[in-house]
Amino acid sequence: MVKITIDEKQFEVENNLTIIQAARQNGIHIPHFCWHPKLSVSGNCRVCLVEVEKMPKLVIACATQVTDGMIIQTNSGRVVKARNAVLEFILINHPLDCPICDEAGECKLQDYAYKYSVGESRFEFDKVRKPKRVELGPNVMLDTERCIMCSRCIRFCDEIVNKPQLVFTQRGDHVELTTFQGQKLDNDYSMNVIDLCPVGALTSKDFRFKARVWDMSATDSVCVGCSRGCNTKMWVRNNEILRLTPRFNSSVNQYWMCDHGRLNSFKNVNAANRVNAPMFRKDGMLIDVGWDEAMARATSELKSFKKNEIAAFGSAHSTNEDNYLLAKLMNHMGVHRIDFVPHIEDAKQDSLLIKADKTPNSTGARLVGIKSDTDEYSYRAIIDDIRNGKIKALYVLDDDIAVVPEIAEVLPKLEFLVIHASNENQTMKYADVVFASSTYAEKHGTFTNFEGRVQKNKPAVSTLEHDRVLDGMPLSRLDRFGAHNDRWTKGIKRDTRASWRIINSIAAILGAKWKYNKCEDVFNEIASTNSSFYGLTYENIGVTGAMIQKSQEQVTVRS
Amino acid sequence: MSEFNEKLLLPNIPDLHKIEVYEQNNGYSGLRKAIGMTADAVIDEVKKSNLKGRGGAGFPTGLKWSFMPKQSAKPKYLCANGDEGEPGTFKDRQIFGFNPHLFIEGSLIAAYAMGIKAVYVYIRGEYVKWIKILQQAIDEAYSKNYIGKNILGSQFSTDVYIVRGAGAYICGEESSLMNSIEGERGYPRVKPPFPAQVGLWGCPTTINNIETLANVPLIILRGAEWYSQIGVPKHPGTLLFGVSGHVKKPGVYELPTGSLLTDIIFKHAGGVRDDKKIKAVIPGGSSTKWILGGELDGVKMDADSLKAYDTSIGTGGVIVMDEDTDVIKVLARLTHFYHHESCGQCTPCREGCGWMEKILNRFIAGEARIEDVDLLLNVANNIEGNTVCALGDAAAWPVQSVIKKFRGEFEKRVKKISSEKKYVPPPHLISV
Repeated sequence: MVKITIDEKQFEVENNLTIIQAARQNGIHIPHFCWHPKLSVSGNCRVCLVEVEKMPKLVIACATQVTDGMIIQTNSGRVVKARNAVLEFILINHPLDCPICDEAGECKLQDYAYKYSVGESRFEFDKVRKPKRVELGPNVMLDTERCIMCSRCIRFCDEIVNKPQLVFTQRGDHVELTTFQGQKLDNDYSMNVIDLCPVGALTSKDFRFKARVWDMSATDSVCVGCSRGCNTKMWVRNNEILRLTPRFNSSVNQYWMCDHGRLNSFKNVNAANRVNAPMFRKDGMLIDVGWDEAMARATSELKSFKKNEIAAFGSAHSTNEDNYLLAKLMNHMGVHRIDFVPHIEDAKQDSLLIKADKTPNSTGARLVGIKSDTDEYSYRAIIDDIRNGKIKALYVLDDDIAVVPEIAEVLPKLEFLVIHASNENQTMKYADVVFASSTYAEKHGTFTNFEGRVQKNKPAVSTLEHDRVLDGMPLSRLDRFGAHNDRWTKGIKRDTRASWRIINSIAAILGAKWKYNKCEDVFNEIASTNSSFYGLTYENIGVTGAMIQKSQEQVTVRS
Repeated sequence: MSEFNEKLLLPNIPDLHKIEVYEQNNGYSGLRKAIGMTADAVIDEVKKSNLKGRGGAGFPTGLKWSFMPKQSAKPKYLCANGDEGEPGTFKDRQIFGFNPHLFIEGSLIAAYAMGIKAVYVYIRGEYVKWIKILQQAIDEAYSKNYIGKNILGSQFSTDVYIVRGAGAYICGEESSLMNSIEGERGYPRVKPPFPAQVGLWGCPTTINNIETLANVPLIILRGAEWYSQIGVPKHPGTLLFGVSGHVKKPGVYELPTGSLLTDIIFKHAGGVRDDKKIKAVIPGGSSTKWILGGELDGVKMDADSLKAYDTSIGTGGVIVMDEDTDVIKVLARLTHFYHHESCGQCTPCREGCGWMEKILNRFIAGEARIEDVDLLLNVANNIEGNTVCALGDAAAWPVQSVIKKFRGEFEKRVKKISSEKKYVPPPHLISV
């Protein structure tokens, strides 16, 4: 440990830190563009220049190690002057196109220009022109003129993904970011360079020009693309998700997420094929009905089968709470044939984030009771028993099980199939009752990732179930201050319900004595009755999740 | 001291680039002597000689060598810097052309002293002719076992490789040079770590200028005591002064440190073309600050003496400008060079050099305003000291220096009406 002084305040810090790290640990922000906590130090932007006593020149805080007794000024006259100078330099060739730039509002350069620069430019010449609208790869666009040459994106590909795909060419103020000859920026994590880019040089092909960032609300969420459970922010305007960005969690995903998760785990929420109301089959057609009708039909039909003629599939796509209540309902009904269908793709995994299990909650589903004790009752055995007619009725939580060909083949044999579905899917073709369920983006709940980390998920999109303001959902500027004549205040609110809530109602009809008002209550019951979750509460899971008590091997999910 | 007129680095011996001729003139005796000494004794001898680096910064060579770790699990490297990209600098190529073995011998002694098994000679790619001569000399030295395995029957083995630069001034900066040898983009590295700890391929590395290494055999052979008495004590030895510009006999002149600048120009380089007056002299390559013609009397060419004139010895590239010189044009041309050669890694140099050039061009076009003089100076000040490498300073110094010494010329070039031309907002923007 060493003692240092930053801006007249004394701190004791570890001695292997750089000034910028030591300052950050103690809540002092030293402006920076090129430095990033998870990337190597490149020292090129020069915005983090600080004054250190006894050093003749200003030094860059990102590359200078703290030493005992070091006295650092981050706001002295010399520092302010140099910082202004560097910002002025960066801006002379930077397009002033903030009004049409996607980064505006979350742009480091814009923020620093407001906070630290003098507010006017003395540069009166033509700016250096460089290529605009360069397609670096399938997901990322480059505006070379906006690039401030911080090299974060290059270092990310080199150091984190181990796929060197980006490079600088040319020299001086003509330096251009580009891909290596004949290559594209097409690694599985390419879109992280968009988040890393401190300016609007790298933008998302999927998101660009869709929304101003201040018109969206950002909700902490968890990616459901695989069993990693990357922490994300879900950006919503007009009750519609427009993008996902990774949220820092040192134990799960650091600052990153994969392109697949970023692009494919939210689009179903606003898709045209959403199931907007409960349905049941009449004269061979699925027709929209009310919730009460659908529930009445489902319960009366289920009651007409013997216990051993019914089976249920939980879902590794669903939350712990959904699965727990399904197991509890089946238990109440005396049904013991329960499992879930795994979705493993061994070819699609890597050592960085991507897991082969393409569901967010296999671990949790098993732990809360969606499992068979013996192979005899496994999902394969259930399929076999559907085929041979022993099982006549099936209850399926949110999972399109018919995408598995051998399951699709046996489903027509069922006499009764009830499913929860958020979107039209293959399984619906065989269903008799369809409950319109909320997606993970529309409900509270927890997922348990591959290593047993329980993570909380919050609604980002409101359904008829909740009110953005009353239920404390994150609000955008428009949510807060938008008037009726504003363009983005009239989003669609769907009549869907969280699966645990649907099961809750069915259980009541079937005479169960239990009832839950909040998702939180379900989780707290799991925690108090299931030793794996011992010690956890909905509250103490926190924003970065908490580990379950089970050892690693006990939670390993079969493949 | 000024009586010393022996040519140490470039003696007038025909065909000295041939190994037989070099050997007949005591060639490789310094190496032989060094191998008979301990490595530490060699470093001590160089330290005692007070030899200063000839690449511009003037760092004590012996001290630099002593920074290399004695024990290292990783290989150690020597890079000989012959990039010679600074405008007005053309001394190393004379060594390659006329006395390549002296440099090779110096490199080998350095390698012996620091326990180095590979020497990389980085030469600017344009020096095709000199690269051929040096390669020939290296081949000859291999054939006579001055380079290679068990040199002169000792336990000491080393190899010497030439690496050709691809035409970037920045690669003369030592850390960019290492990146370039590694095949990376020519970007300076952030220091620390210094090359003696983390250098070429992450291994301990020393980088010396060609001329610096060429001095080493003489120090070993004739002793530090003898060497330290040549020229001025704090900066001893001879320097290769590359004289260019408006002189009658431009060329490279080897003279002891502390020689009078006027002697270099008038006695050796034949005086000014058409016997005109001197307007200004750049003493040590294009990045050093200028000396006015009127200040030349008594200026001695060594590190300490030039400090008094707020300039430096640099590479010893003396550029003479006569009274007809348009200093703003010269400065614009130099700044164009720095703009063109800025590597673009760090912000102040990348953006500032282009801006300075644009302002200077406005002066040349007669479009500048009086405020532009201070703006230009301020841009230069904002680059200086704020960059990754010293080449940001190199771009700023000439600008600062010329404005300081020739402010009047800038003011004369200002557009006449500019002081009256004020911004008048269009009528609809004037609030009533």
